[in-house]
Amino acid sequence: MLKNICVTQINLLKSVSNMQQQVRTTFVLKRKYEPLLHKTNEKPRKMRAKHFIYELVEDTSVKKQPNLEVVLKQFVQGVGDKGDVVSLRPNFVYNKLLLPGLAAYKTPENIAKYAKTEAEKNTLEHSSPYAQRTVNVLESITLAVIMNKDERWVLEPWHIRASLRKAGIYCNEECISMPSQRIEGPDLKKENKEFYCTITVNNLEKARLKCRIHHWSTDPSERLPYVLEHWKMPAEPLLGLEDGATANETAELTPKST
Amino acid sequence: MAHATSQGPKLLYGFKRPNRFEKGLGAQLPEAYRKFWREWKLTTPAAVHYIPKDGQWERDEVTNEIKPIQNIPLPLIDPPESHEGIWGGESVIKGFQKRQQTKRRVPHFWVPVLKRSVVHSQVLNEYMSVVVTERTLVQIHECFGFDHYLLKNLACDLRSSLALKLKRKILQELEKGCPALAADPGHQKEVLKEYSRYLESYTSEEIDWYGHTYLEAIRKLQIQLKAEEKVVPHKVEFRSQLIEQLRKAGIAEAGGSDASATKDAQPSAEHKDADIEALTKLESSPSSSSWLSKINPFGKKET
Repeated sequence: MLKNICVTQINLLKSVSNMQQQVRTTFVLKRKYEPLLHKTNEKPRKMRAKHFIYELVEDTSVKKQPNLEVVLKQFVQGVGDKGDVVSLRPNFVYNKLLLPGLAAYKTPENIAKYAKTEAEKNTLEHSSPYAQRTVNVLESITLAVIMNKDERWVLEPWHIRASLRKAGIYCNEECISMPSQRIEGPDLKKENKEFYCTITVNNLEKARLKCRIHHWSTDPSERLPYVLEHWKMPAEPLLGLEDGATANETAELTPKST
Repeated sequence: MAHATSQGPKLLYGFKRPNRFEKGLGAQLPEAYRKFWREWKLTTPAAVHYIPKDGQWERDEVTNEIKPIQNIPLPLIDPPESHEGIWGGESVIKGFQKRQQTKRRVPHFWVPVLKRSVVHSQVLNEYMSVVVTERTLVQIHECFGFDHYLLKNLACDLRSSLALKLKRKILQELEKGCPALAADPGHQKEVLKEYSRYLESYTSEEIDWYGHTYLEAIRKLQIQLKAEEKVVPHKVEFRSQLIEQLRKAGIAEAGGSDASATKDAQPSAEHKDADIEALTKLESSPSSSSWLSKINPFGKKET
């Protein structure tokens, strides 16, 4: 009845029309005792104390909120590429995507606005939103490459592959590119020395893998003493080159391998 | 009898107490503010804390009795804190719980769960840390943005003076053409295009008076009234009157000062002094003729 007084409401409701719904994320109550009926177009009767006894219908703040759909404005690591419509938990979407301006609400205009152009589709910058996670894991670990102490060997990609498998990472030999210099053994001077090789993820992303050589013998008496948590200790470079130089070297090499 | 009173025949239906817009300064508040007041205070807000029944009539399931449906809203309390945050239409409910059938009712307050979050206004180009409820955020998502949420919803549904103040600011900014986004003209154009449809339902005076509480509106009105009436000291007023009178009477000094107004400031000031001297002479001339002026108590005694 009183709604009629307000003139602006009608104008405003027109703009609201596109899919706005009533939501309740709060205490929803109802009266335990209904108040008596009052005359139409008159004020409600004076209520008694029992009419203020309420019962909880539902508390929607403990209910699970549905996912929120947004359009990504740019590539977001672990979420998606530009123009993707993703549906995620509302708090994550609001705090991590909408507020930093990485995404916009899913409206027809926004979908059209942030859709990928032809030129952008052709230039592939990221193979997948999750590839960077793999790169991060590979770059964070120190890989122990355990070689024979008694037999002669030359370090090859399959050694790295086996060591990675021991560490719980499975990859093809084609993905692994070794440093340009030959590494031969057994040589106890090379024990616990560091070198870098490059792993190519999805034929696109490159990860620098830190490896350390350790010697191991089948004869238990021949084995080197075990050093506790040796991967946490600093180590010398094996190839006598600075880290940056080896990185460049490997980067040059990798296109051949891929 | 009725015709003799100021309220006229209205008295027939009982004495009507003047409300805040019919007495005192409130009567001078413009129609623009009253419109906002109606939107804010006299409109029934959307049902947040109860589920309204649909339809006009309902049938009792047991007795098959037909009764009209009368949705009486739950009385809500807006604490001062609710005006410092944006609670999205929620407020405190004061009432009772009947926890056991055989026990007395227990007073209880249902208070919304509050949290601090950041909201982003595109029009103002600003991030704000405000106290919100989950419902506010859900509504922001449903309206596709904080600005849309403020502009779409009525004042009675926003239920917070902070939100209303922001709404006024956003409307003012839109009216000016978003100077906050002047650094990026393309983006500014887009924002204006997106939000300008909200400006249709307001005139610029309405925007100016939007979102003020009653006390703030009165203060605003007082400032306006004060600015309108300029107080000129009587000294200045009376002097100009007198000079005018003298000019009419045809006194040469009074007319002369006006003629020399085109000259530099320095000589005109001298002329003014001359005027004053002339005036004092004029004033003193009748008194000099009286015998009292001849008595000088501080003068040297003639022996």
